[in-house]
Amino acid sequence: MRELFFVRLFLLTFVCAVLGAATSALAKDLELPALTGRVVDGANILSPTDEEELITSLKNLEGRSSDQIVVVTVPSLQGYAIEDFGIRLARHWEIGQAGKDNGVLLIVAPIERKVRIEVGRGLEGVLPDALAGLIIQRRILPAFKRGDLTEGIKLGIEDIQASLLGDGAEVAARSKKPDRQIFSYLPFIFFGFWLVPFVYFVSSLNRDRRVSGRVPGGVVIVPGSFGRAQDHWHGPGGFSRSPGGFGGGFSGGGGSFGGGGASGGW
Amino acid sequence: MTLMIKKLSDFLKMMIVLLVPLGLVGCGINNIPTFEEQAKASWSNVLNQYQRRSDLIPNLIETVKGFAAHEKKVLTEVVEARGKATSFQIPKDILTNPQSFEQFQKIQGSLSGALGRLLAVVERYPELKSSQNFLTLQTQLEGTENRIAVARGDYIQSVKHYNTELKTIPGRWWRSLVYPDSEPMEVFTVEAEKTKVPEVKF
Repeated sequence: MRELFFVRLFLLTFVCAVLGAATSALAKDLELPALTGRVVDGANILSPTDEEELITSLKNLEGRSSDQIVVVTVPSLQGYAIEDFGIRLARHWEIGQAGKDNGVLLIVAPIERKVRIEVGRGLEGVLPDALAGLIIQRRILPAFKRGDLTEGIKLGIEDIQASLLGDGAEVAARSKKPDRQIFSYLPFIFFGFWLVPFVYFVSSLNRDRRVSGRVPGGVVIVPGSFGRAQDHWHGPGGFSRSPGGFGGGFSGGGGSFGGGGASGGW
Repeated sequence: MTLMIKKLSDFLKMMIVLLVPLGLVGCGINNIPTFEEQAKASWSNVLNQYQRRSDLIPNLIETVKGFAAHEKKVLTEVVEARGKATSFQIPKDILTNPQSFEQFQKIQGSLSGALGRLLAVVERYPELKSSQNFLTLQTQLEGTENRIAVARGDYIQSVKHYNTELKTIPGRWWRSLVYPDSEPMEVFTVEAEKTKVPEVKF
């Protein structure tokens, strides 16, 4: 009876895993572009030199304030509103550092003639919607209306950077590394957790050994269970995400977005 | 020798005592309260964004009045809807009480409707539309509406997570065993106004 129960439970877990994978595959009705770098020119509107120029300036910004800006042009919004597309893309890429949430996405959809600045939660104070809206209305759209997309993107990025770097003291505070989170200490806490009974056991054995002079075989068990326990807790260690922008590759640092920013059309 | 075996069994007992809570955590005994807190956190974000919208409205009204004071009907509609929304006392059990949740949604929905009509009226006043003050307010309002949409989506997601945990095994067992007070929460439905097909007149 009991075995039957466990067999059922196992089957259930299996079915659940398969179903979960299937539904998550189905849910992906929107195809999001891959984060290939700081400039993802899916619509192919930037020349290689302009792209290089943008990448360098965005890289410098991250070096200075740790803020991540990504420029993305898309050939199609796939029927979604640019706000909807933007938040999905931003959350998928996780631009910005974890905990600081300092990512900005400039999205240009030349076919739909829509543009959006998506602002990470941590930057909503320095780049509020009204300011993002102004940058779009005053700097980006006039160039876009002339048909000069490259110029509009450059001017927009220039202004976004200027507003992010506006307050020197605030930038310095933002660029600092965040405090280590409790998760990164978990293995150590865990170590201590096992250490108490272990020490107790070994010291009591030692006391015996002094009397009997025999080497205990039971000690072997302890390092075994020890190691397993640590393996088990390696998972939460993954919470500390590596900051993006190391070396040549670029990746989001785990920043979160709450729908801040502004959009425009031309 | 017997002493050593006793020590060893003491040690193993201690290990078991330490392992049981770990095992329970692994089986998801904490899932229900964790998801519940997440859902509540997303809910307070929803409230925050609605509040933010309410805070923007007086400025908007003032600006529109400056150019189109005679559009009294739409203006008072917005003011009244906002008054209702801000004076609505949110009951403590709103998340688990379908009636009060429905009421909350209706009140905010009628404010959305009134705002939409106001913005439609504004289209008739090019001067107002191009005034910097109005443009800024419009951007803020759009931004807030977008945040409301995002916050609502996040709330729906986390409630889905929580409700599913309550209804599926092993969460169902944990609920009956440890958290009998945890009730499933309500989610937003699409507002009636949004499902209406707009009328097109030629």
